[in-house]
Amino acid sequence: MGGSVSKIMGKLFGTTEMKMLMLGLDSAGKTTILYKLKLNKIRTTGPTVGFNVETFQYKNVKFNMWDVGGQDRLRPLWRHYFPKTNALIYVIDSSDKKRLQESKIQLEKVLRELQNVSSAQGFVLLVFANKQDLPGALSPKEISNTLDLKNILTPDQLYAVMGTNALTGQGLIEGLSWVSNNFKKNRT
Amino acid sequence: MSAPPSSSLVRKIYRACRSSLAEPDLSLNLAVADYINEKQGNAPREAAKTVVNLVNSKDTHTAIFALTLLDVLVKNCGYPFHLQISRKEFLNELVKRFPERPPSRYSRVQKMILGAIEEWNQTICKTSRHKEDLGFIRDMHRLLTYKGYIFPEVKPEDASVLNPSDNLKSIEEVQREEQLAQSAKLQELVRRGRPQDLKEANKLMKIMAGFKDDTIVESKARVAEDLDRLKRKADVFSEMLQQSTNSGQFDPNDETLVELFSALKVAQPKIQKIITEEQDDPDAVQNLLQLNDSVNLLVDKFNLLKAGDLTNASKIKVASNGSGVQQSLNLIDFDDDDSATATPPPQQQGTTVDDLLGDLNSLSFNNPPQANYGLGGDISLGATSPPPQSLSPQQSSGPNYDIFAQLSQPSTSSPSVAASAPSFDLLSGFSQPQQQQQPQQQQPQPPQPSLKQRTVVNESQHLKFEIDVSKHSDNFISVKAFFTNLGAIPLTNFQFLIAVPKSLTLTLDPQVGSFIPSFGKDSVTQSFKIASQQGSIPSWKIKWKVNYSINGSPIEETATYTITV
Repeated sequence: MGGSVSKIMGKLFGTTEMKMLMLGLDSAGKTTILYKLKLNKIRTTGPTVGFNVETFQYKNVKFNMWDVGGQDRLRPLWRHYFPKTNALIYVIDSSDKKRLQESKIQLEKVLRELQNVSSAQGFVLLVFANKQDLPGALSPKEISNTLDLKNILTPDQLYAVMGTNALTGQGLIEGLSWVSNNFKKNRT
Repeated sequence: MSAPPSSSLVRKIYRACRSSLAEPDLSLNLAVADYINEKQGNAPREAAKTVVNLVNSKDTHTAIFALTLLDVLVKNCGYPFHLQISRKEFLNELVKRFPERPPSRYSRVQKMILGAIEEWNQTICKTSRHKEDLGFIRDMHRLLTYKGYIFPEVKPEDASVLNPSDNLKSIEEVQREEQLAQSAKLQELVRRGRPQDLKEANKLMKIMAGFKDDTIVESKARVAEDLDRLKRKADVFSEMLQQSTNSGQFDPNDETLVELFSALKVAQPKIQKIITEEQDDPDAVQNLLQLNDSVNLLVDKFNLLKAGDLTNASKIKVASNGSGVQQSLNLIDFDDDDSATATPPPQQQGTTVDDLLGDLNSLSFNNPPQANYGLGGDISLGATSPPPQSLSPQQSSGPNYDIFAQLSQPSTSSPSVAASAPSFDLLSGFSQPQQQQQPQQQQPQPPQPSLKQRTVVNESQHLKFEIDVSKHSDNFISVKAFFTNLGAIPLTNFQFLIAVPKSLTLTLDPQVGSFIPSFGKDSVTQSFKIASQQGSIPSWKIKWKVNYSINGSPIEETATYTITV
């Protein structure tokens, strides 16, 4: 009973809950992003063996953000986190040109699988071109061209590529508001 | 959110349960099972939810179809589905329409539901490798019993499907099975999302990603265990064939023979697969090849016998695979200076016993006690475990050191004993009285039974066989055998037979009891005494056989065993 009341209230006042899944190659900066958003602090983190999950509120959206380790041994396990995903955040180290192609292949694989998960239908894709502060980092535009998302994605798939710097938090909030705006649009 | 489009899984389930069907359609049901097995991920959960909804449908027809489908899924989708049916939510849904007090007569649907829960409780809750995850089924069973519901009896043939099979699996298959189970568990933990679940999920993820590499070791150990069992089967089969060749009587329809034959036949391709998996390890490969050869020969021999070609069949001599039995005998012979016991055991001696040991090592028998105790027909290394006095550090005290060292040599030479940590404490305790007895070995000793704890001789699926040995003198022991039923089904017409080599004399007391109720502990006992004529240290070799009926079908277990005193 209480639950349904709060659901109605939620609808009236527009509070929604979202599951965001953050993936990407190892040392792309996923965990740093997570804690920057949660605590607005930089936490020095080692490689994530396993996953982290944090909840935080931005405006009227409650985000459940899952950050799953990106080492190659962990990648086959990503799919266990797919169900009920509303937004996929894919983090790329813009300065690591050598592994950009590998990152692209992983993204394609994730997208293919995610599209088949019925409870994740209507998810939005946000690519963070992270580490923009590093010299020689590719611009979001260049990353976007390399990923060639138009050709991988179905025409109705919403996506965006944003340049970020997890250390300063630049681009992160913009990313979140893009996700919440477009996710709502997607649902109605 | 708009209603999610009903997935093809849901559609398949509805199709299999629609009330317009005349009777449950097995092929549709199996199609659902196949689909779940292929998709994995969320599919087991979705299926469980959909099916239980249909079970609660007002239409009896649909409900019965849904329960039939549920049964098929439980039997064909393995652990990922078992995990779903053991969820509290699922079980509560399943009995949603049960009244608080049991009705005077159960409806057909209720009967089926009770039957299903009983069956799960009897099988997967007891025998699954992950039974600790299935606790809610037990709780539901207990709850229903408490409320006064009575469960129907389980048909043994239904139950047997849900128990683990003894078919040989390759390392890869074992690992795949394990991975599947872990995947299902991880996904379930992530879905539940409570803090403790997430903590466990993180731990599980580490294991799955191979940051803890115990999985491969564990898989290898499981394969080694299975191989050992297969070797024993091959030996029994070989012996039976030899007997029928010698006697000229051969019954191709003999149930045991046919069963063993099919077990070997099924194992053949698997052995080859394991050989390729183990190719980095020459010892293992050599031993596997040998096993493969003897399996091939046995299959040929069986076929020849079946065709009535006795002469050719008798030409095929199959070397024994040294399934534990001989290994242990050999180990014991090895240390005895006595010539009488140093003669090879009655069966042909495998030539590669040393290799075998090396091989068992290489197959990473990292956990020998577990791998050896409590297995059907296993006498092997269990027989060597009682006397490792040499392991106890205290034993070097006293003047008996020399005699002891001599006696203990063989046990240290056996790698499996050296590793059997669990028996350690127990045995170091025993070494004390034994030490005192050693110097008196030469003179006859007044009967002074030394107290011993029971030794497990054999533990099969149904039956545990333990003995309690008292040593009266070096040449005379009395033994009491205890039989315990490990299952819920009573064992009837129980009969225990025993034979000893010619050098020993056996005196049997009457057997006490011939019926073992479900889980009956020590319901049948049998005392016997064995004396040896020679003045030497005898090896207390016995051959035992038990016959009993379980639900009317006769079962026989037999093996040789060396009693350690």
